[in-house]
Amino acid sequence: MGSDSTGEPAAKLRDVVFAYDRGLDLPAADSFADDEAYDPDDRGGAVLRGLDLDIPAGSFTVIMGASGGGKSTLLRTFNAIIPSFVTGSFAGDIEVLGRDATSARVPEMADDVGMVLQDYESQLFGTSVTSETVFGPENLAVPIDDIDPRVEHALSVAGLSDLDRRRPPDALSGGQKQRLVFAGVVANHPELLLLDEPTSDLDPAGSHDTLEVIRSLADADGFDAPEGWNGPETIVTITHEIEEALLADHAVLLRAGQVYRQGPIREVFTDVEALHNARVAVPPVVDTFDRLGWSREDLPLYPDEAVEAVLERALEWTPPARRGDSLPGAPAGTRQKTGDPVFELEDIVHEYETDRETVRAVDGVDLTVESGEVVAIVGHNGSGKTTLAKHLNGLLEPDSGEARWRGRDVAERSMSEIGRAVGYVFQNPDHQIFADTVRDEVAFGPENFGMTGDELDQAVTEALETVELDGLEDADPFNLSKGQRQRVALASILATDPDAIVFDEPTTGLDATQRDQFMNLVARLNRETSVTIAMVTHSMHTVAQYAPRTVVMDDGQKAFDGPTRELFADESLLERWNLEPPQPIEVSNRLAAETGQDDALPALSVDELVAGLETAGSDAASGETHAEADAATGGDHS
Amino acid sequence: MSSSPSLYADRDTFIHRLNARSKLALITGLFVMAYSFTDPVWVFVPLAASFLALVAVGGWPNFKRLSFIVVALFLVGFAVWPAFTHSGGAVLLSTPVGTLTEREVLFALGRSERIAAFIIGGLLFVTTTSNEEIVAGMRSLGIPFAFCFAVGTALRLFPTFLGSANTVRQAQAARGHEVGGNNPVTLLRSYIPLLIPVFMTAIRNVQTQAMALEARGFDTRGDRSFYNRQPFQTVDWAVVVVGLVAAVVSVALRLQGFGTI
Repeated sequence: MGSDSTGEPAAKLRDVVFAYDRGLDLPAADSFADDEAYDPDDRGGAVLRGLDLDIPAGSFTVIMGASGGGKSTLLRTFNAIIPSFVTGSFAGDIEVLGRDATSARVPEMADDVGMVLQDYESQLFGTSVTSETVFGPENLAVPIDDIDPRVEHALSVAGLSDLDRRRPPDALSGGQKQRLVFAGVVANHPELLLLDEPTSDLDPAGSHDTLEVIRSLADADGFDAPEGWNGPETIVTITHEIEEALLADHAVLLRAGQVYRQGPIREVFTDVEALHNARVAVPPVVDTFDRLGWSREDLPLYPDEAVEAVLERALEWTPPARRGDSLPGAPAGTRQKTGDPVFELEDIVHEYETDRETVRAVDGVDLTVESGEVVAIVGHNGSGKTTLAKHLNGLLEPDSGEARWRGRDVAERSMSEIGRAVGYVFQNPDHQIFADTVRDEVAFGPENFGMTGDELDQAVTEALETVELDGLEDADPFNLSKGQRQRVALASILATDPDAIVFDEPTTGLDATQRDQFMNLVARLNRETSVTIAMVTHSMHTVAQYAPRTVVMDDGQKAFDGPTRELFADESLLERWNLEPPQPIEVSNRLAAETGQDDALPALSVDELVAGLETAGSDAASGETHAEADAATGGDHS
Repeated sequence: MSSSPSLYADRDTFIHRLNARSKLALITGLFVMAYSFTDPVWVFVPLAASFLALVAVGGWPNFKRLSFIVVALFLVGFAVWPAFTHSGGAVLLSTPVGTLTEREVLFALGRSERIAAFIIGGLLFVTTTSNEEIVAGMRSLGIPFAFCFAVGTALRLFPTFLGSANTVRQAQAARGHEVGGNNPVTLLRSYIPLLIPVFMTAIRNVQTQAMALEARGFDTRGDRSFYNRQPFQTVDWAVVVVGLVAAVVSVALRLQGFGTI
């Protein structure tokens, strides 16, 4: 797959304006030009604001931008979900694969356009692997005799050939479910494949496997598919994950509901200012060398290129620490052990029943978390990490073993006691929000715990100030952005002044800016108030940046419990548990290996990577090589 | 201990292998039996048959999950049904408010057993029949595909809905919320923090699912293929006959005055 910019574009959008509210009198497309005041956190009004875009046929295009900035909305115009299914208020022209997508119905577009959404649970319709995969071809009235070859091929592309065809989707892992969704879509033989954050709900292993499927679809030359189909000609994906974005060859940045930048991937992802302005995470490798002062055309994009560039220019690598040294903490400055245990889990066992068997989700885990500590709990889906975390505040009771908070058995405490002391922030804030106003939502917990009057008002006000939502007290929480709703959920916990907070996937669905805002807030709380933090997460960036200690769960057992830096230093461990290290770690581990520094521990952040390269002196900062410096000084190092 | 969200139990039992239509005929036969009689001894026969079959096909976990509904309906029915019949027989309980006679107790017991038989029979069907088989079975009975698919989707969404409700319950419990109240109004109000997130989440899920359906080409207007063709075999005909005989014999016995109180 490669861009064919000379041919007819796969999708062509002109003057597209769209708002989710129906019956609006939309302004003309050109009236939105240079609208710098647009805030993606604001709800209401037009989401797409006079957008013009060509998706090159044959390209693998990634669309990035702020959460709430119109990425998913844009993607849904390609298969007529907008304006056919979600009508809203629409104006403009959209042509997809030569068809007018503004007048087509979604099922009509499904002949040529396939779509994979983030939430795999909502896309599975069958009760077996086979029934799920045949669903699309049945809908398209594919002759029965042609369906079996399509199913076999689609499952093979998705890496699910060995799966029992009668197996129910419920019994699959998250990664397998998403790959089954891919198989179902691939069986329709689409020419244009749309991917809406396909890995954001997946664990590292699931993401890895799903990315392999995307790679194989993007590089479909020699596809031995039935009926002469040769893979999707064009792929368009949305993601917040930079590693995923770098699979593409063409990038589009959205800002203020318009195309802000577009072009070849290297051109867009080395434009640091544009990425910042579009609220897109700068690739850590680019960020590092940009901060070292390298010119834009010299900036490496991938870890391999970074390592190669450093070695080529003979720059020195000084790791942030070595084995045996006292370990530096997390880059965010969050706290480490203090010696006073808050949580003590002892030989915890928790089981659940499937229709076939009893599964031991947590199998004899011991865990002690000390006061003020920040601990990350990671592992693949089904490894038992969330089940374990729910024992910390008594949401689940162990089948055997004992969970203690401050030395007292959690099972013997009422939820009104333990709930006030140990807050639990769920992954999806929409699983708790119900009130008409932000104030009422935040006051709900403290009221349940008996707070009233001025004490309650003060707790709510302080909590909203802490999460920087003061001023939105009377807003309807359902109208806030996902990042803001996440902060409302946190405020509702903070208002009870907890001793400890447990987070379940705190950054899922947040863009780079929202993620950093939220986690910096958590880190600040920990530093300033010593609140103990346990967080279940798939985000290795979050783990590296914010958690000095990491627990790895594997098949219900604790497989690792130690300093995060030591975990990330051991690539064999990362590989065993399918933990994909963030770019700074990958680069620093590679540099340590290439320069024979076997005792080096990795850089966990861009700051540490920059510091380790800067120690070589101003040469690194300027991009000047040691060889060039030698030449300039005549090789005199005296 | 937690439980799996799906009601369908993937097994290879005799009932699983039956065509969905013959299963429907068999369960309809059991329902007619339960509906024909009022004597709890007679109603116990289809109730026990459904229950034993359910356990035999691996439906015990499903029964445990829904047992609170069965027990609640049984007990509420047992308390309420005496008011819907006339008294008769020996007086079993006499209070200043009123009396409870043998006939009223037998009547209430029979009606409660009947409701339990209906629920367990339905559970037997969904435990042994996948969504596709239900949809295919209904379609082969001439029911429009759109309706059949809606039923199948509702069955599939039900466990997801339960899972979501459980998460909401945990999220609110973690904030100190307890369901309960001294009077019906406060009791109902205490459900609001649970119901709003559950329904908002359900609405979002349904919208995403509807979108995903259409994006996969699902269309009630156009032609479609049907991959899962279920053969209707001799054994299915035999089961239909058994269901039919059970229904006819039950009605005949009832008309002869058997099985009543």
